[in-house]
Amino acid sequence: MLRSLLFRHQDKRQLFIAAFGALLGITFLISSVHYLLRVSEFGEDAEILGANTLIVQKKVSSSSSLNLTKTDFSGSELVKMKKESFVVDAKPVVSNNFSVWFETNDPYVPTFKSDVFIQAVNKNFLDVKSDKWHWNAGEKFVPMIMPRDFLVMLNTFMSASGIPQVSDELAMKLKFRFRISDGQKEEWVDTRIIGFTNEISSILVPENFMDYATKKYANGDPGKITQLMVAGKEGEFGKLEKYMNDHGLESKNSQVVVSRLKSIVGTLFAVIFVISIVAVFASGLVLIQYMQLLMTHNKYEVRTLLRIGQHPKIVIHSFFIYFIKVFGSVLLVGFVIFLVLKYFIDGVFQTGGIYLNESISMASVIAILLTFFIFATASFRTAKKGVMLLFNK
Amino acid sequence: MNIEFINVMPIPLAGLNHSKESLWGNSVVFDSKQRSLLNASSGKGKTTFTHCLMGLRTDFSGEIKLDGKDVKSIDLESWVEIRQRKIAVVFQDLQLFSQLTVKENLKLKAELTGEFDAESAFRKITFVGLSDKWDQKCGILSMGQQQRVAIIRALLQPFECIVLDEPFSHLDKENAGKCMQLIQERCNEQNAGCILTTLDANKEIIFDKEIKL
Repeated sequence: MLRSLLFRHQDKRQLFIAAFGALLGITFLISSVHYLLRVSEFGEDAEILGANTLIVQKKVSSSSSLNLTKTDFSGSELVKMKKESFVVDAKPVVSNNFSVWFETNDPYVPTFKSDVFIQAVNKNFLDVKSDKWHWNAGEKFVPMIMPRDFLVMLNTFMSASGIPQVSDELAMKLKFRFRISDGQKEEWVDTRIIGFTNEISSILVPENFMDYATKKYANGDPGKITQLMVAGKEGEFGKLEKYMNDHGLESKNSQVVVSRLKSIVGTLFAVIFVISIVAVFASGLVLIQYMQLLMTHNKYEVRTLLRIGQHPKIVIHSFFIYFIKVFGSVLLVGFVIFLVLKYFIDGVFQTGGIYLNESISMASVIAILLTFFIFATASFRTAKKGVMLLFNK
Repeated sequence: MNIEFINVMPIPLAGLNHSKESLWGNSVVFDSKQRSLLNASSGKGKTTFTHCLMGLRTDFSGEIKLDGKDVKSIDLESWVEIRQRKIAVVFQDLQLFSQLTVKENLKLKAELTGEFDAESAFRKITFVGLSDKWDQKCGILSMGQQQRVAIIRALLQPFECIVLDEPFSHLDKENAGKCMQLIQERCNEQNAGCILTTLDANKEIIFDKEIKL
């Protein structure tokens, strides 16, 4: 009876418009928060390079082939790059300046041997656990990160030898060894694979091992810096890409494509996020305004109830619960629409070869709860203010 | 419920000439259990009296005390308690919900104190000749019928004093008499006082005190 009394003068059309606006805003808000997070996470688990990290090198042109232009980086070039606002850090990639021989050293697989090219990068750029990524002279084996293409080649060899191919997990259990030498003296060092990468074409080893081998087996010339490891700022890949173009630099195509994609999609969802925040805020305001209008239209009923002894808390509660139900329903429907949208959007990404984490992000749930909390607080305060204005009137 | 008016002067009435016996500007005590009649012509502040007493207006000088407490300092919870259990009121403009039926209006009020007894309410409505209006919306009743509903509504709550602001202005002598009978019975039941404002002295009803405004 109390509800029919207090909600008699309703403009349902206005309520519907406000609720619909809130629904659109909420749906976009949940979606944008979810995809902002998922896109920024994309590729982080699969690769060993840290987020937004590229290996850059100078483009090789006809003139550089004729030694007219340099393909290595000078110290000043490195310093200049570090100073750019969109660069978090830049460090040289150190290559071997001595000969390295790689071979299998396990009774379960046939011998495979090859000259290889090894590199070391600062461990801050790598997304590997530090307890696995260290080496000191005298330790049992050197950890290495192997290019996935190398494993494919190894499996091709296995297959040709009539031996079952090895998986990532099995390959990490096999024993390998390096022979490092300067042409006169040599040394054998056991090594194990601790991870794989699609981003780097050489075998990565810890800096300590590279320093040790360089000191002992390099010919004395300081190695040239032909590649740099560059970590860019989140969402500012466009600036880094422009810098690379302006300075004749390039990176591995897949790295650029992924970073560009993440940057574009991230920016797109960031824009949607801002728009949806505004939409939710505006529609929330309309709903609050609707509540104020409703209380104004029902001023006589509210005032009379209070005059005949109704407790203001009961009247406030009636308005509050009604709008909480309206907004709660909007959130619920918005979440269901998000799930449907997510099904299609994930499908679109997968069609393009991008497999995002499909679980619902915690940030989306927090966004819903936070929005609900803000609206609940605002509607309670509005209901209280409106009712108390009529008490003792 | 002791009600004291101590030199009360509503600001809108300050410019008028009030007689020496007027409530306004003097100190008057309405003792509990006493039946008082406030008699005044139009514009002398009968409704202002009710509104000031119930805390709906504070634009007055002087003090109004309910059981020794200044109405301007009474807190929200106490007002709710006063309106639910201590002072019953029939407002001059009745304050009924026109879209609710007679039954719903009575039920809404009685439920505030958890004392709604549909049978007793219907008996009272029947006594004042409105049994056929039980399920009709108040908005379509005549003013006289609405006055009777408002009086019955006020009687459904427990009270220590009942304030009636021109409750019989649209009633004939017979219906006014019936309503007065119910009011007196209910006051007797609860040992409660009664303050009734009227345009004319009602000679058929005996009051303990008559006050001019």
